[in-house]
Amino acid sequence: MRAAARFVAPGLCLLALAAWAVTGQDSRSAAQGRAQESAGPAMDATAQPSTNGQNDRVKPWDGSRTTPVHLIPLKDENDAPIIPTEARPMPYSARFTCGPCHAYATIRGGLHFNTMAPQAAGRPGEPWIWLDRATGTVLPLSYKKWPGSWDPKALGLSAWDFTQLFGRHFPGGGPAEPSDDEVLSEPDARWNVSGKAEINCLACHNASNRQDHGEWAKQILRQNLRWAATAAGGVGEVGGMASRLWNTWSYVDGPNLDDHEWAVAPFVTYRTIDFDGKHRYFFDLDYRPADTRCLACHSVSATGEVRAHGQPDVHSAAGLKCADCHRNDLGHGMIRGYEGEAADTGNPAAESFTCRGCHLGQDQTGKRLVRPGRMSAPYPKHTGIPLVHFKTLECAVCHSGPRPAKEPSRVRTSRANRLGIHGVAQWFTETPAVLEPVFVKNAHGKIGPRRLVWPAFWGRLDGKDVVPLRPEAVQNAAGKVLRPEASIAQTLVALYQACAEDEMPVLASGKFVFEANVDGGLDASERPSGPEAREASWELRKGGSLVPLIPDFDPASPDKAPDIEGRILSYLQALSLRADSPGKPVVLVRRTLYQFTDGIFDVSEAPEGFEGSPGAGWLVEGKLRPLASPFEVRTVTAKSGTEQTLTEEQVTLILQALAETGGQAAAASGAETEAAPERRSGHGSAPAAASEGREGPPSAPFVYVSGGRLFKLDSRGRLASEAHEAAEPVTWPLAHDVRPVQQSLGWNGCGDCHSAGSKFFFSSVKGTGPLLTASTGSKSATSLMGIGGLFQRTFGLTFAVRPLSKIVLALAILITGALLVVAFLVVIGRLAGLIEKRQ
Amino acid sequence: MFAIVSVLAIIGLWLGLAFRRFGTRAAERPAEGTNKPGPGAFSRWFFRRVAESLRKPGRDALTDRLRSLASRRAPVLEKWLLVGLYATFLFLAASGFFFAIFIERGLFGVTLLLHFTAGVIFAVCLALTAILKAGRYVPNPGPLSLPAFSGDFPAGRGIGKVMEVSVPARDIISGLFWVFVLAGFSLTVSALLPMLPWFHYQGQVILFAWHRWSALAALLAAIAFADLEFFPRRPAA
Repeated sequence: MRAAARFVAPGLCLLALAAWAVTGQDSRSAAQGRAQESAGPAMDATAQPSTNGQNDRVKPWDGSRTTPVHLIPLKDENDAPIIPTEARPMPYSARFTCGPCHAYATIRGGLHFNTMAPQAAGRPGEPWIWLDRATGTVLPLSYKKWPGSWDPKALGLSAWDFTQLFGRHFPGGGPAEPSDDEVLSEPDARWNVSGKAEINCLACHNASNRQDHGEWAKQILRQNLRWAATAAGGVGEVGGMASRLWNTWSYVDGPNLDDHEWAVAPFVTYRTIDFDGKHRYFFDLDYRPADTRCLACHSVSATGEVRAHGQPDVHSAAGLKCADCHRNDLGHGMIRGYEGEAADTGNPAAESFTCRGCHLGQDQTGKRLVRPGRMSAPYPKHTGIPLVHFKTLECAVCHSGPRPAKEPSRVRTSRANRLGIHGVAQWFTETPAVLEPVFVKNAHGKIGPRRLVWPAFWGRLDGKDVVPLRPEAVQNAAGKVLRPEASIAQTLVALYQACAEDEMPVLASGKFVFEANVDGGLDASERPSGPEAREASWELRKGGSLVPLIPDFDPASPDKAPDIEGRILSYLQALSLRADSPGKPVVLVRRTLYQFTDGIFDVSEAPEGFEGSPGAGWLVEGKLRPLASPFEVRTVTAKSGTEQTLTEEQVTLILQALAETGGQAAAASGAETEAAPERRSGHGSAPAAASEGREGPPSAPFVYVSGGRLFKLDSRGRLASEAHEAAEPVTWPLAHDVRPVQQSLGWNGCGDCHSAGSKFFFSSVKGTGPLLTASTGSKSATSLMGIGGLFQRTFGLTFAVRPLSKIVLALAILITGALLVVAFLVVIGRLAGLIEKRQ
Repeated sequence: MFAIVSVLAIIGLWLGLAFRRFGTRAAERPAEGTNKPGPGAFSRWFFRRVAESLRKPGRDALTDRLRSLASRRAPVLEKWLLVGLYATFLFLAASGFFFAIFIERGLFGVTLLLHFTAGVIFAVCLALTAILKAGRYVPNPGPLSLPAFSGDFPAGRGIGKVMEVSVPARDIISGLFWVFVLAGFSLTVSALLPMLPWFHYQGQVILFAWHRWSALAALLAAIAFADLEFFPRRPAA
C-alpha cells in the first residue's frame, strides 16, 4: 500500500499540475480577452497577435482624448505569457506585449529606429562620435550619408559593434535589433548571448519616475540587451551579466550552475506589486512623453554651467512639451521642425510645426498656407527688421542657442559626451569638444546656427583620400607608446607596496606631481610650493610635503640611517613584482649598487664604467635605465593640466610604427567590406585593396587628423601638418534652447550683429583635438557663412554713421515735403482763381 | 509683376514721347505724307530716327547737345548740385532697376551699400534743387471754369466737351518737375521708414513695394521731363 501510495501521490500531483496549467492558460486567455474587450471595440477577441507581434489591422482612434489604462499581460520574445512569480521568467518583449495593439512593424520605420537606413533622412543631425581617448580618436559616424560623417559599415563596424559603442543612448531597435540574416552575417557577434534590444516603448512613453536611463546604459554595457528594457523601465530587477558568459551561451541554457558569483546569467525578478491577480502588469504611460524622456538622449548643456542658473527654452517655460511640436503618428516619423521638412519627408503636417508655420502661418516660401498660432504661438512683429534678414537667415540665428561671442562656447551633448548615466562612477566625458554656435549656410542658402566638432582619427592616405583606421589597429601598432601613464602608474603601484600607510609614492616632474589612481592611470596635481623639478624624481608624499624616495646617503658611513637599506630592500622586492618590467630592479647610491642576485640582497660597488644616475632603476644590458623612460616622463609632463591625450612625439612614433608594420595590424582589424570608406563630403572612394584586409602599399603614408590639420611624416621623418578635407569640422544644426525675445539678436538694435568688430561676423573657431600642438586649423565665421568678410566689415562700419544719415534723410524729407505742400497750395489757389495765373 | 510693368511703362513712355514728336512734326508739315499720320507712317519714321541716332551724325548730335547742356552758365553750387542730382539718380535708377528686373535676390552686397549712399546724396540734392528750381517750375494752371447752366443741353454734345483744358508744354514740364520731386520725396520716405523700429514685417513689405513703385514713377517723370526740357523739338524751318 505504501509503495502504491508512493507512486499514486506524485501521479496525483502531476495530474493536478497539468490541470492547473491547462486551466491557468484558459484563465490567462480569458483575462486577455476581457482586457481587450474593456479597451474598446477595436481590441476584440479576433485581434490576436501574429507570431511576430505584428497586427496588420489599422486601429482607428475612437476620438477619446484620454490615454487608455494599460493593464495588460506581459509577453516575452517567444510570444509566451509571463508569469511574474514563476522561476526565472523572461524579460518582457515590447514587440509581443505592445505589438498586439500598436503595429510594431509600422513603428520600427520611425525616426528613432531607422538609424541604419542608408538614405539621407532630411536635414543632417548630430552624428554618433566614436571616442577613444587612448588613441585620440574622435570620429563622427552616421549611416545616413551626412556630410562630414563616416559610414560605420565601411569602417568595419558591425551592428553588434555599433550597439556596444552607442547602445547606451539608443531607444532600442535599429542596430540593436538586427534581422536574423544580419545576425548570421556577424559570426563574431554575441546576439545569441545578449539577445536583441527591441524598441523600448517605455524609454519615451513611461510616465513613471522609475524610468532610468542609467539603468538602460548599464544593462547595455553588460550586454543584457534582452533584459535592458525591463530593467530600465522599473518593470523588474535584472541581475547577471551576459558579457561574462561564454560565446555559445543562450537563454535556453538557463542559469550558469558552475558560477554563482561572477559569470552569472542574466535574470529578472519582477515587481509583483505592479501585477494584478491575472498577472497583468500596469504600465503607467504618457501619450505625449514627458521632457525628461527626451532629455535622456537630447540634453545639451554648457560646460561649467551651474544648473540652478540655467534658463529653459521659452517653449518649455510656456508649458509646452517637446512632443507638442515634435509629434508623430503611429509611424513615429517625428516632426523635427525645420523649414523644408514637409518637402523632404512628404509629410505636409510638418509645415505647421516650423517656426514660420507656428508663429507666422507661412510655409518655407513665405506663403501663408498654414494656420498660425498653434498652441497660442505669439505673432512676432519684428518691427524695424529689414526683409533681407528673413530671406537669408533661419529663425534660430537670432533666437536660439547662446549669443555669439568671440569664440563659440563649449557644450556637452548626451550622445557625444555620454550624459545622464548616473551611478557611483560618473561616465560623462569632457571630450569630444562640442562647440556652439557657429553659423553656416545650409543647402537652401540660408544661414543657420550649428554645433561643431573637429574630428580626430588615424588614417591611411590613399591618393587624396584618408581611410580611417580603427582604434584597435592603432593600439596594436603603437604598443606602449600610447600608455606612458600606465607604465609609470605600474611602477608607483609597485612602490606603494613597500611604503608605510602615511606614505604615497609619487613622481615629480616640472611643476606637477603624479600619483597612481584606481583606473591604472595618473592623477596630476600641482607641486607644493618650491622650485620646479628640473629632472623627474621619485618621491614620497608624506603629510603635505614631498621627500625623496631614496635620500642620498653614504653607504660606507657607519652613521647612515639604520633602516635605509631595509627600505631599499623592500623597494627592490616590490619592483621585482612589477609586470612588464624592462629589466632587473636596482638602486644606485653613489658608487654602491643594491640589487637581488640569485635571490640574495647584494650590496656591491658598481663596476668600472657603470652608466647610470643615482637612484632606483632597471638594469638592462649592464646599464642602469631610469624607472620611467625620458619619453614617458616628457609625455606625461607635457600633457598634465591639459585635456589632450597625445603629444607630437607620440604621434611621430606611432606613425613610424604604423609605417613599419605596413598597415598589417591596421588591415587585420580594419574594414572588410567591399566598398572603401568614404567621408560623406563627396570625396572619391579609396582603392578597394586598401579595405579588403590586404596589406596596403608599402609606401602608403599614415596620417593623424586632429584640430583641423592633417599630420604626417615628411621625407626626413619629422612631423608636418597641412590642411585637408578630412580634417574639416563636422557641423549639425541647433534649434534649442530658444532664448526669450529680449535676449534675441536685434533686440538692442542693428549693432547686435552689424559693427566693425561684430562677434557675429568676425568670430572664429579654432581647432581642438586630442593632440597637444600649436598647429591647429581655424575657421572664420564669414568663411563658414560663405560671405565676404571685407564687405561685412565695411558694412558694419557704415552703421556708425547710420544715425547721422537718418537725420540727413529726415531733414531732406522735411524740406522737400514743405515745398510740395506749398506747390500743392499754389496749384489749388490757381485752380480756384485765388492766385492769378502767370502770363 | 513689377519688372513687367516697369519695362512696359518705360517702353510705352518712350514710344509715347516719340509719337508726340512725330505728331507735332506732322502737324507742322501737313503737306508731307498723309493728312492723318497713321501707325505705318509713325513706325517708318520711328525706325528711321532710331537708325539715324545710332549712326555717327546722330551720336555726334547727341554729344553736342549734352555738351551744350553741360556748358550752360550757372552758379557753381547749382551746377554741382545738378551734377550730384543727375549722377546719383542715374546710378540709383540703374542699380535699382537692374537688380529688381534681372536679379531674383534683389539688391545686395556692395551695390546695395553704394545705392544707399547715393540715395542719401540724392535726397539732399533733390531738396536743394527743389528750393532752387521751384520758382522756375512754379505750377501755373489756369482757373477752372464751368459754363453757366442755361437749362438747355444741346443734343450731341458729350460731357467731355463741358470742360476743355488747354495745357501748354511749359506747364507740362513744370508738372513733370513736381511729379519727379514728389516721387523723390516718396522714395526718400520709403527708404527712411524701414530703418526705424516702427514697422513690422508686413509694413516692411509694403514700404519695400512703395519704394519700388515710387522709383518707377520717378524714372518715368525724369524721362519725360528730360525729353521735353533738355531735348525740345526744333521748330520746322
